[in-house]
Amino acid sequence: MSTQFADVERAEQVEQVEQVEAKPRRSANVIGVVIVAALLFLGAIFAFGLANQRQTQPRSGLAPDFTLTLLDGSQVRLSDLRGQVVVVNFWASWCAPCRQEAAELEAAYQQYKGKGVEFLGIAYTDTERNAKAYLAEFGITYKNGLDYKTAISEQYRITGVPETFIIDRKGEISDFVMVPLTLSQLNTLIERALAR
Amino acid sequence: MKRLIMMGIGALAVLVLAFALTGIAAAQGDPKKVSDDAVNAVARKLYCPVCENIPLDVCGTTACAQWREEIRLQLAEGATDQQVIDDFVKRFGDRVVGTPQDPTLRALSLAIPLGISALSLIAAILVFMSWRGELVRGKKVQPVASPSAPATIDSYRARIERDLAARR
Repeated sequence: MSTQFADVERAEQVEQVEQVEAKPRRSANVIGVVIVAALLFLGAIFAFGLANQRQTQPRSGLAPDFTLTLLDGSQVRLSDLRGQVVVVNFWASWCAPCRQEAAELEAAYQQYKGKGVEFLGIAYTDTERNAKAYLAEFGITYKNGLDYKTAISEQYRITGVPETFIIDRKGEISDFVMVPLTLSQLNTLIERALAR
Repeated sequence: MKRLIMMGIGALAVLVLAFALTGIAAAQGDPKKVSDDAVNAVARKLYCPVCENIPLDVCGTTACAQWREEIRLQLAEGATDQQVIDDFVKRFGDRVVGTPQDPTLRALSLAIPLGISALSLIAAILVFMSWRGELVRGKKVQPVASPSAPATIDSYRARIERDLAARR
């Protein structure tokens, strides 16, 4: 009987303590949830950033579409060139390796002009003055434009210049090269794209 | 005579003005007249286009040298510092200045890290306070929480003694 009495008394005491503890424990739980949510949010941001960093240049599949404003002010859209092989070359006037391939690209353009092959030069982080001077220096006559706000470079996730994408008649990437190209290499790549 | 002197002064004033205007125009068109300090004052607000987080004024790449030359040309053409920066942002995007130019995005980019830091600090303080509170409560509750504590056993023993005495 006395044990029962003691049990009841103890239960009452425990209940009182639980009531006192209940409110702070609840607020501690809310804080915990907020902290975990904030950590998850930050983790998601870092994961997104890392996933983006790991992405590389597209090497197959449909080439990302873009509209390039040419240095003469006109515009050309990649998807409008469907049915032709397109050589998309990213370059810059400050880039030394680009100078190695400039004349070769123009020679390839002259060779394939009117044969279902189009060339597009995209100047990366370049100024209009310098880009025009560069084109004049190498006598480049194919279509060229500045990559405003580096929007096209970001689409193709280029990591530097020169980088060249060969796009086949269906608009799919046939080849991607990130070294200065020679005329014979360009011939091989273009012929491969034409054969697809 | 007085009229002749006045005409002479007028002609001289016109000549001086013409000379001054020609000089200003020549200075505006000539990039060599724009000092390196003037170029660097703009360049230090911009970032290298091909490297990570290096201001344009201290960057040694050819791309940076070309951009600095472009700044010099624009300043020589009469553009203000802000006009040069605006032109670079328009052509190369917000990344050339390191922060978004849109006022809302800029405010967010500055406020979010501060907000997260403030929230973390508040959360840390609250957690610390709740831990501290639990510690204090824990001390008060200790005698009740332990049924085997000597004081409790003594009180039970005393009650048992009382019950036994009542039965007798």
